[in-house]
Amino acid sequence: MVNINALGVIFPNTYDDLVPQLVQHRTMASVPFGGRYRMIDFTLSGMVNAGIENVTVIAKKNYHSLMDHLGSGREWDLVRKRGGLNIVPPFAQSSAKVYHGRVEALNSILGFLAQQREKYVVISDCNIASSLNFAELINAHVKSGANVTMVYERREIAKQFATDNYTFTLDGTGRVTEIRWNDYRVGEQNLSMGLIVMDREELIAMVKDAVVQNRMYLERDILGPSLKTLRVQGYEYTGYRARIYDVKSYFDENMRLLCPENVAALFPAERPVYTKVRDEAPVRYAMDCKVRRCVVADGCIIEGEIENCIVFRGVKISKGAVVKNCVLMQGTVIEPGVSMEYIVTDKDVAITMGKALRGNESFPVYIEKGTTV
Amino acid sequence: MKECIAMLLAGGQGTRLYALTKKLAKPAVPFGGKYRIIDFPLSNCVNSGIDTVGVLTQYQPLLLNEYIGNGQPWDLDRLYGGVHVLQPYQTATGSDWYKGTANAIYQNINFIERYDPQYVIILSGDHIYKMDYAKMLAFHKEREADCTIAVMEVPWEEASRFGIMTADENSIVTKFEEKPKEPKSNLASMGIYIFTWEKLRKYLTEDEADKTSSNDFGKNIIPNMLGDKQRMVAYPFEGYWKDVGTIDSLWEANMDLLDPNVPLDVWDPEWKIYSRTSGCPGHYIGTEAHVDNSTLTEGCFVEGTVANSVLFAEARVGKGATVESTILMPGAVVEEGAEVYYSIIAENVTVKKGATVGARPETVEDKSKWGVAVVGEGVTIGENASVGPKAMLEKDVQDGEKLW
Repeated sequence: MVNINALGVIFPNTYDDLVPQLVQHRTMASVPFGGRYRMIDFTLSGMVNAGIENVTVIAKKNYHSLMDHLGSGREWDLVRKRGGLNIVPPFAQSSAKVYHGRVEALNSILGFLAQQREKYVVISDCNIASSLNFAELINAHVKSGANVTMVYERREIAKQFATDNYTFTLDGTGRVTEIRWNDYRVGEQNLSMGLIVMDREELIAMVKDAVVQNRMYLERDILGPSLKTLRVQGYEYTGYRARIYDVKSYFDENMRLLCPENVAALFPAERPVYTKVRDEAPVRYAMDCKVRRCVVADGCIIEGEIENCIVFRGVKISKGAVVKNCVLMQGTVIEPGVSMEYIVTDKDVAITMGKALRGNESFPVYIEKGTTV
Repeated sequence: MKECIAMLLAGGQGTRLYALTKKLAKPAVPFGGKYRIIDFPLSNCVNSGIDTVGVLTQYQPLLLNEYIGNGQPWDLDRLYGGVHVLQPYQTATGSDWYKGTANAIYQNINFIERYDPQYVIILSGDHIYKMDYAKMLAFHKEREADCTIAVMEVPWEEASRFGIMTADENSIVTKFEEKPKEPKSNLASMGIYIFTWEKLRKYLTEDEADKTSSNDFGKNIIPNMLGDKQRMVAYPFEGYWKDVGTIDSLWEANMDLLDPNVPLDVWDPEWKIYSRTSGCPGHYIGTEAHVDNSTLTEGCFVEGTVANSVLFAEARVGKGATVESTILMPGAVVEEGAEVYYSIIAENVTVKKGATVGARPETVEDKSKWGVAVVGEGVTIGENASVGPKAMLEKDVQDGEKLW
């Protein structure tokens, strides 16, 4: 594969507000997903699989878990002499307040962006796990000759993110003629996936101008008002995606991976999803355990009964425990005799002997990181 | 300078593994769901604080070289030291294959001297065990030994299969016999030696000059040192150790992982066994699946019945299929309704619909005809074909063919 002429910029904290429980100790990017991954793995692997070798992650807050996860970027093959992974924490000395919109954040790395050689920039958030083919996206952008390409999906706007979304109006050629902010209309919309491809030098010029004019948001303040002069192209993504916007959607999107077709769609063999290696042993299923319809990551010891569960790495389910319809994050320990249904346990939760916990399909109960019940 | 470096003998063909080692060296044979045999000595090294390892390869080294790579999965990618694959090479005066275990080390004296070590530990790449070499080194220093040999007690009836040590009450080795007919002791050598490097270099050089020598540690170096009254001590090891050089022992060692009474624990976070990982998503257990007393790893896909088995990455078991007391190596597929009993199914084998491989021992009347069935890498077993116990397959089996 010839390397693609683009660099990546990832915003790990966007939409943190939608899932306050999950991001208490982390960023949206480091929210665990699908048994052994973090949300950023999908974006990062997508970029790397397209041949992008230069990725910048602009962190805002709570980024310890993210730094720990990404390390030097080796697992994504991003330890490079030229490019590689570049994590940028907020530059606290220059101003006391942390940036708000993407423009301010991009402004903080303008010097870096100006020094790079890649022609294009791909900008992404981490709230959607997808198997988007970044190479196809970038090639479509180049072929179209547009100034900017913005990715969207067709879907209804859930009330949970009704106050934090962009939708597009497109003409017959796919050109974006209007960018709406928090549209009130019901029904399917062209909902932005927050993924943008554009020319690096054009982006630098745009950000410089915007800062001078005190405009903060890329879509609302810069692209939206300039649609007549800028050619902004819509790119519809129809492949598999999992958008996280509250605990319920987090639960549902994990559960969707209990259908093998969905796993095959999110993890195409030719574009693997990379993640941090933890050197866990294989899963040990003990004598007389019962397992039906589960996805289980390495390092688990299963002695009890589990059904319809997503089980992350290093989970222990003791004899006599019955666990159904649960998402159990890394290091969860379920003691003997526990019975639980529709529960999301965060990392290192322990459910002690004999407890009974019940959520509901429409209201899964979330248990905070490190809690002992 | 390094205090102690390791030399890992990984050149063995493993002829007694037949179809399994046709295309790869024995240390590269998959073991225990996500490992290869060599992961055990390599992980032991790094867990014991030994950060310099020379891996001596000779037979079918391609996969082993690729697997070891820069050593990063074992944390052996180091600026000074780390893991190095050492193959036979040419010199101005000629070239030679490794003639024996001692000659392999002799040919790499230059590699060892780059690190100017005080001690060298000699390991082999065909044993499954967890051992703290730092403790053995401390023992070697404490006893002021020239050579320390790790030994373990084996059942008396098996003693004649091993190199047997006789040691006095101070652990000083007084006698060494390779595979004795009438063993005087049941202390077997585990093939793990620590030498004071200066001594070893002397004996390697002398051994090389002896044209009648077979250049082997067990046959030449150890007896020569013993004959010269060098200080040889036996380091007693307690715990799990198994030579997996035969089909039966390889199968048994995998099954040992499933037995809670066997002290082989790969789940201990204090002594992790590292390996190069597959990078697959978590494994999937289907709605109609039954899984009992087994180990599965990432990328497995199970819709049938799996009992007392070890499944590697991307192994698949279809609806209504049965896999029992079997090892499915990476990418092995058992299609709908197929049955596999007491078998080792190598990488990327397909057992097609309705086929049968192997048998439960209780279903075979003539016990001499029963044994673990082995299907070699990449073989396809046709639909409704049947392959009996003790089979050793290297070629495809046609649909409906009966092989027993």
